[in-house]
Amino acid sequence: MAAEIQTNRRAKLSVVVIAFNNELYIEEALESLHEQTFDDFEVVVVNDYSSDRTGELIDRFIIDKPKFKAVHLPENSGGCSTPRNTGVAHTTGEFIMFLDGDDWYTIDACEKMVEAIERTGSDFVAGQVIRTNNYEIWYRNQIYSKERINFNIREFTYMLFDSLSVNKIYKRAFLDQHGLRFPEGIHYEDVVFTGNAYFLAESISVIPEPVYYWRVVENAEAKSITNRRHEFENFENRIIAHRYFDQSLRANGAVLYQKEKNNKFLRHDLKLYTNDYLQYDDDYKTRFHHLIYEYLHEVMDEYSFIGLAERDRILYYLLYIGDIEALEDYINYINGLPTKKNRVYNIGSQYYFEPSISAKNQEKFLRMEKPEIDFAITDMGLTLDSFKFQSEIQVNSIAEEEFDSYWVLRNRQTGEILTAVASSEGKAVFELQNMVSGNYYLSLYVKHKGNLHRLLAKNSNISKLPNIELKDHHLSKSIFINEKNSFAIRVSPLKMIDQLRWKVERRRLAKKQQRTPAAAQPSSTRKALERFIPKLPIKSNWVLFESHMGKQYSDSPKYIYEQLLKSGLNFKFIWSFQQPDQVGLPGSAIKVERNSLRHFYYLNRAKYWVDNQGIAHLAKKKEDQVYVQTWHGTPLKKMGYDQKKMPTKSELAKLKIQTEAWDYLISPNRYTTEILRRGFRYGGEILETGYPRNDLLVHQPESVKQNTRQYFGLSNEKHVILYAPTFRDWDPNSFQKVLDDVQRMSKEINRNSVILMRLHYLLSEKISQLELPANIINASTYQDIQELYLLSDLLITDYSSVMFDYALLKRPIVLYCYDLDEYITRRGMYFNFTELAPGPLCQTMDEVMYYINQPDALRKFEGDLEKFGARFNSLEDGQASMKVVEQIFKS
Amino acid sequence: MPSKNVVFLINEFNNHGGAQRVASILTEEFMADGHHVAVLSINEQKNVPSYFSEDVPVKVLHRKYRAPQPIEISSNLKDFKFLKVQKELKRRYLLKKKRDEVEAFFKAYGNEEVYVIAIQVYAMQWIRPLLYKPNIKIIGQSHESVAAAKGSKRYKRILIHYRQVSKFLLLTQKDAEHFQEMGFTNTGVMYNPAPFRKLNLPENLYKNKKIVSSGRLVEDKGFDLLIEAFAKVADELPGWTVHIYGDGPAEKPLKNLIRILGMEQRIFLEGQTEDIQAALEAGSFFVLSSKAEGLPMSLIEAQSCGLPCISSDCAPGIREILEEYHNGFITPVGDTAILSRHIKRLAQNPDLFYTFSNNAYSSSAKFDRKVIKNKWYELFEELGGERDGR
Repeated sequence: MAAEIQTNRRAKLSVVVIAFNNELYIEEALESLHEQTFDDFEVVVVNDYSSDRTGELIDRFIIDKPKFKAVHLPENSGGCSTPRNTGVAHTTGEFIMFLDGDDWYTIDACEKMVEAIERTGSDFVAGQVIRTNNYEIWYRNQIYSKERINFNIREFTYMLFDSLSVNKIYKRAFLDQHGLRFPEGIHYEDVVFTGNAYFLAESISVIPEPVYYWRVVENAEAKSITNRRHEFENFENRIIAHRYFDQSLRANGAVLYQKEKNNKFLRHDLKLYTNDYLQYDDDYKTRFHHLIYEYLHEVMDEYSFIGLAERDRILYYLLYIGDIEALEDYINYINGLPTKKNRVYNIGSQYYFEPSISAKNQEKFLRMEKPEIDFAITDMGLTLDSFKFQSEIQVNSIAEEEFDSYWVLRNRQTGEILTAVASSEGKAVFELQNMVSGNYYLSLYVKHKGNLHRLLAKNSNISKLPNIELKDHHLSKSIFINEKNSFAIRVSPLKMIDQLRWKVERRRLAKKQQRTPAAAQPSSTRKALERFIPKLPIKSNWVLFESHMGKQYSDSPKYIYEQLLKSGLNFKFIWSFQQPDQVGLPGSAIKVERNSLRHFYYLNRAKYWVDNQGIAHLAKKKEDQVYVQTWHGTPLKKMGYDQKKMPTKSELAKLKIQTEAWDYLISPNRYTTEILRRGFRYGGEILETGYPRNDLLVHQPESVKQNTRQYFGLSNEKHVILYAPTFRDWDPNSFQKVLDDVQRMSKEINRNSVILMRLHYLLSEKISQLELPANIINASTYQDIQELYLLSDLLITDYSSVMFDYALLKRPIVLYCYDLDEYITRRGMYFNFTELAPGPLCQTMDEVMYYINQPDALRKFEGDLEKFGARFNSLEDGQASMKVVEQIFKS
Repeated sequence: MPSKNVVFLINEFNNHGGAQRVASILTEEFMADGHHVAVLSINEQKNVPSYFSEDVPVKVLHRKYRAPQPIEISSNLKDFKFLKVQKELKRRYLLKKKRDEVEAFFKAYGNEEVYVIAIQVYAMQWIRPLLYKPNIKIIGQSHESVAAAKGSKRYKRILIHYRQVSKFLLLTQKDAEHFQEMGFTNTGVMYNPAPFRKLNLPENLYKNKKIVSSGRLVEDKGFDLLIEAFAKVADELPGWTVHIYGDGPAEKPLKNLIRILGMEQRIFLEGQTEDIQAALEAGSFFVLSSKAEGLPMSLIEAQSCGLPCISSDCAPGIREILEEYHNGFITPVGDTAILSRHIKRLAQNPDLFYTFSNNAYSSSAKFDRKVIKNKWYELFEELGGERDGR
């Protein structure tokens, strides 16, 4: 009787279960259906000619269960399509769902899915899948995080990443209308079926509810059909499925979405196969290359890879151009295996992987962030005075003679640096006599063609880490691994009092390191004072000085200050410095820390501001205050509004705050006057007096020269070469270039010469961590560069304004402009440098060395130097400071 | 093998957790073989008996004091929180003092080799200086899964303290792999030993018609899920009862749940038992419905008596003990529907039950205390052979 009713009434939902040799799990699958919280459904179980007990178990299960029906196929179909289509043919429900014989539904899966499809009216609805190896939801974050109702696939193409058919409920009418069934005779039927469904459906919905358990059996001996990636047919089948999908894209008029489909293919499907590449045999590889080459060229071009992660981009590009040799090398490369050919090369700081077949624009696709560098440390030994180890460094796919490396221990608290030397047996050896408290972390520096790569040593790089602790009278030195697995030698004081002291010191150092972000929050007292201070009256005899944002006591402000000291006028002087206690200066000036509350106080009360860069943003200048802007050099590169790359609005706004505050701008010559006016859009008064700082170079006092020589410990006989390159902020590896050049000069200059280096502070900081040859002196932190000019016999520079001042001395200048074209392209110059240069323009170090060692050859450029001086320095008469004081401070 | 010195480092030697249990079993085995075993305990519980026998020397570092979490002094000083600062100063003072005591404790061994087994990472802070003593080999253990440790401060402590120990032992291969990925080079796997192992005839077990579960009655152990799952199928399983051993704060809510479901005659909260072996042998199969575990001792014990097990998939350790559809069933955590089905399946299919029971007993061989003891000896040999490279 019951059976009769069943056949007369059409069930709302039909579930098609397919089973092939699932004897362990089939009952579970069927039970999960039998116990559903939903009632109005029928089940057809299609047994695909199982050879185990699956069929028998199905039959036993459906006895007395009128909702369940079994269909036993007479022969094995070899896939999922035929059983599923058969199932669909044997059912009549308004909605259809699918279940595989080794998976199961959550208890309320049917109820939720039917509810969702009735509520939304979508053509189909998708629910969450739980994989049982980790119980994570398949594509949870990208797709299944929230309910999405009635979208079209074209609005949300990420949905393509879920190509499963089983976690969905379909309207039968939708399937029938389009004749949508599973393609028989192929595997990866889901790719085709689901792909078609996506583009045929008017509307799709997603519910953030778990409905389907996907049983993942790890280490299973018999892998399921779709898991046997090692058989080539498997790959072939996947491509066949994708070709069907591509075809239907075209047929459905959705060819515009090929790109999104390709994206999923590359990120998901192809990745599975390239990951396993090393395990394939030769035959597999040959066929794989052939097929993938063909397929990639069918549906995409190389620009499909451009947005992918580096490894995928390079891999797929090499597959795309059919460069098997390079591909195999690349796969070896990323797996840390040797490559047949050295393929990693650089252009400047950019690295590339070299293909065997060259193609247009290849470098776009073969870019690499950095070369793979690996190292291993063995035989580590620590004594009180030394730390040694053996190391093996491997820079994969780069010729050994191209790179060079050295080891450094850096104290993270104090910043102190120790560099290793190589012992006779090839070990790296650190001398440890002069260690102070702190953790010394070990790094490997690898130099490669102007690039410097730093790698922190980790516990995992070290074999047999010894736990050693040694103590002398004051300190303990021990091997230490921090929580992030980095290796260090930990030095800590032994005595209680030293430990306390170190704790305090450590705190101070740590605070200093994080000062910049922490200083952002001013206290409430400070805020109140900052409101109050500007209301105080101006002191007409207070003068505030600053040079180079408080970094130095130098430049024109220094010489104006000293002139004012000499004048005997009744002034009170204030100098602001970043580190006031590090700077000594003559006279009774008050030193304040830049940007401190005291600085703010003096900025508000001093009548005069004398500065060479910018302080107007630190306090609002009042009407009665006088801002003397001395500027810091004759311009060579374009600046302000003239810059090659027009500055942004906010940059210009900042510039405006400064220039509008200026009352006097000091200019060394007519040329500069015009440029500053134009470049800064400055309309105020300009004093064309020459540079106060250059008075020194006109008078050339012997005492200053002697003092400076003494400071550097240079006898009068020494021939001094000043090397002052500009900072190339666009090139992260300019440091290495400078280092290499300096080392070369050090070797090739004559014995009576020394090189004084004047570098940008960022470079200087780096270079001060290294040990330099005896004939190289880092003078970068010396306060006043004018004094260095005075002492030196020859200048090597490039695009720096130092050449204008230096030309006053009428001593030779060598211009080392190896990147002149690049510099002009990037920065632009105000005049034709090649024509007007005050000395020889060298492209290479060879040329530079030639001129250094051949004073006679330099003599040829005396005319150029003369001309240069006449053009730019005609106003410099040694009276500039006096003129400034007369015009501003005495009126 | 010459006799060895072994020191167990424990938070509270007389707590009744799984880790203490394991340490006591190993202690018995080691002592029976003539090795010298001592226990170094950071704290103790008042007037509570321990798993350890009277013959084991126990040194307790702090009788009353319990070290709080370290805090920063300066920021609290600025906020005028002097009490907190005072507490922190006391902590630092006592840590230093107790470290000296620990050093003295180990001085007694002279230059003899000592294997220190830190069963919990918390205690590492007191013995950190011992890392640099060449005769002392520290073996660190974590008796829980990575997921469980991550929910507490222990994970961070592991990262700080276990990098340099001679060996860092995890309960499962998966957990060890996690720490290898975190850069640890000293990981290993050591199973917990079963305290007993006895073959029971599957037919006898089945006849008991009893489902057994055990553990502290706390929310995390998920006994409510077992109760729900059984209640759902109780009518289909006449004569079958559920027996839950253990006590704890969740007792009352669980009692209520049993009453609400009308299961007073079918599900029994048995309280703590002194003899879990007897309880298991009086049962048929074991259910663990926990939400988080390490390598649960209760499953190992149940298997060792030949009980098939159903467990929630709450830690990687579960799959190292149970083999699905071979000696038991595994369910997703919190899925009562499938738990009910598995209970029914085992209870209604004697043949399946017998097979699983036989398989369970033979699978438990790898947890046999003799087997595990020998693994420890192998480890001692491995570490003893190593000399620091100076």
